[in-house]
Amino acid sequence: MTMNFAFMCKPNEVIKTGKKVAIIGAGPAGLAATGYLVCKGHEVHVYDKLPYPGGLMVFSIPSRRIRPEHVLEGAKILEERFSVEFNLRTKVTVGNAETHEEGDDFVEKVVKLEDIIENYDVVLIATGIWRSPMPGITGEELDGVIGALEFLYRWKTYELNLAPRDRIIDVSKKKVAVIGAGHSAVDAAMTALEIGAKDVYLLYRRTINEAPAGRYEISEAIREGIKWIELVSPVKINGTKRVSSITLVRNRLEEVPSGGRPRPVPIPGTEFDLEVDFVIFAIGERPTPPPGAEKVGIQINERYGNIQINEEFRTSVKNVFAAGDVVTGPSFVGRAIEAGLRAGRSIDRYLAKI
Amino acid sequence: MKYKLYYHQTSCIGCETCERVCGFLYERPRVHLYRVLGGIPVPIGCRHCEKAPCIKACPEGALYKDDDGFVLVDPEKCIGCLMCAVVCPFGAMDLDPITKSITKCTACNELRARGLNPGCASLCPAEAIMFESTSDIFEEIRKKVAEKLASSSLNL
Repeated sequence: MTMNFAFMCKPNEVIKTGKKVAIIGAGPAGLAATGYLVCKGHEVHVYDKLPYPGGLMVFSIPSRRIRPEHVLEGAKILEERFSVEFNLRTKVTVGNAETHEEGDDFVEKVVKLEDIIENYDVVLIATGIWRSPMPGITGEELDGVIGALEFLYRWKTYELNLAPRDRIIDVSKKKVAVIGAGHSAVDAAMTALEIGAKDVYLLYRRTINEAPAGRYEISEAIREGIKWIELVSPVKINGTKRVSSITLVRNRLEEVPSGGRPRPVPIPGTEFDLEVDFVIFAIGERPTPPPGAEKVGIQINERYGNIQINEEFRTSVKNVFAAGDVVTGPSFVGRAIEAGLRAGRSIDRYLAKI
Repeated sequence: MKYKLYYHQTSCIGCETCERVCGFLYERPRVHLYRVLGGIPVPIGCRHCEKAPCIKACPEGALYKDDDGFVLVDPEKCIGCLMCAVVCPFGAMDLDPITKSITKCTACNELRARGLNPGCASLCPAEAIMFESTSDIFEEIRKKVAEKLASSSLNL
């Protein structure tokens, strides 16, 4: 079985339009849009910084949830039967803008976004969320403090035979604290166990009932051997050069008048230290538009860094559209796929008019 | 070759792709993802039963099987009485607020007529929804069970 992104047509039904679309980012949104647009007869070129298409489906989500081959074979159909051009290991930036994001280490070629905008009828930005934010606490610069995305991504590149085992973050026989209780947090904790960590703590500021991954996922993780500690927040990370422990404070929950999730409030004097060798923050990834995108006039939300679009998936630049997590922030694969399909439909309508 | 739409529920990862693709195709999705009992994801949609209770329950004969064995509704005949919804074990039925007829999964009949597969099965990243011949589906099921047995014996 194969993910079939071009599920709405057969290759021999396609009538070429002569219009050219560039898709930046080969994750679920980018590939879904590609599938839609090739069925409408447009020539599609895909750009991605990684060595394989698939984005987080291939490079972060554990293989036991999504089999990488399932996605890669789907991309191959696009390439072989629909003549989609894949430009991999290729990063798109504006001018010489530089930032470090996860997944940059495979980049061999840099292409300017200005040139892409110039050379294609339409550009779709679907670059996702490749930055793990840090909470801004003392000691987070120490060795052994990392983001969940980097941790998962390094493991997946090893699993996919793209990097030798010594490039993984080797937590075997070590004590690991994972901060967060979303899917990335559970995935990071389970992967740490798989690598052979001695103790894996999953630390969450609220209780299991509020955990974004759900009570069931957390219970499963506990059953597999994860040590769950709830109602705690990190205060600081201790160590000289390397992490030796993390200081936590206990929380109580306070109802919020708006009726949202209860707010964790630290209880003074309840600080305690947990001895660990690694601290993995899984507190939500951040959108990563092409570096410098604002310089070509693409409007970006200052607070969250996500690309602003209208209901037609259009950015503030005429022929530039955006979809997926780079617009919404961390979401679900299905929502990114839907956004890619809807953006594809909107792009097709736009192309019909030019 | 007879094809079936098959939900391998235990492989579902809750990513919402089925519901979202369906919503893209038909605006009102015909498969819905529910998270129950502390977050276990369950896709809810028509299983196109071999011995479909909805067809038997319909007093107007509005539900029928197409040539490939998929359960469809004839909106002209449907009176919107919801008897099918009462007997359906899978919560597959929905009432169209405009036509006042039952709507449900057609296993993407228009795509199938062109030799294509339903949207949800085409894009489910977890291989939890399949559109395959019955023999291939049972082959897949046996493989998945074998893998599960192997991994649980490793944990002994």
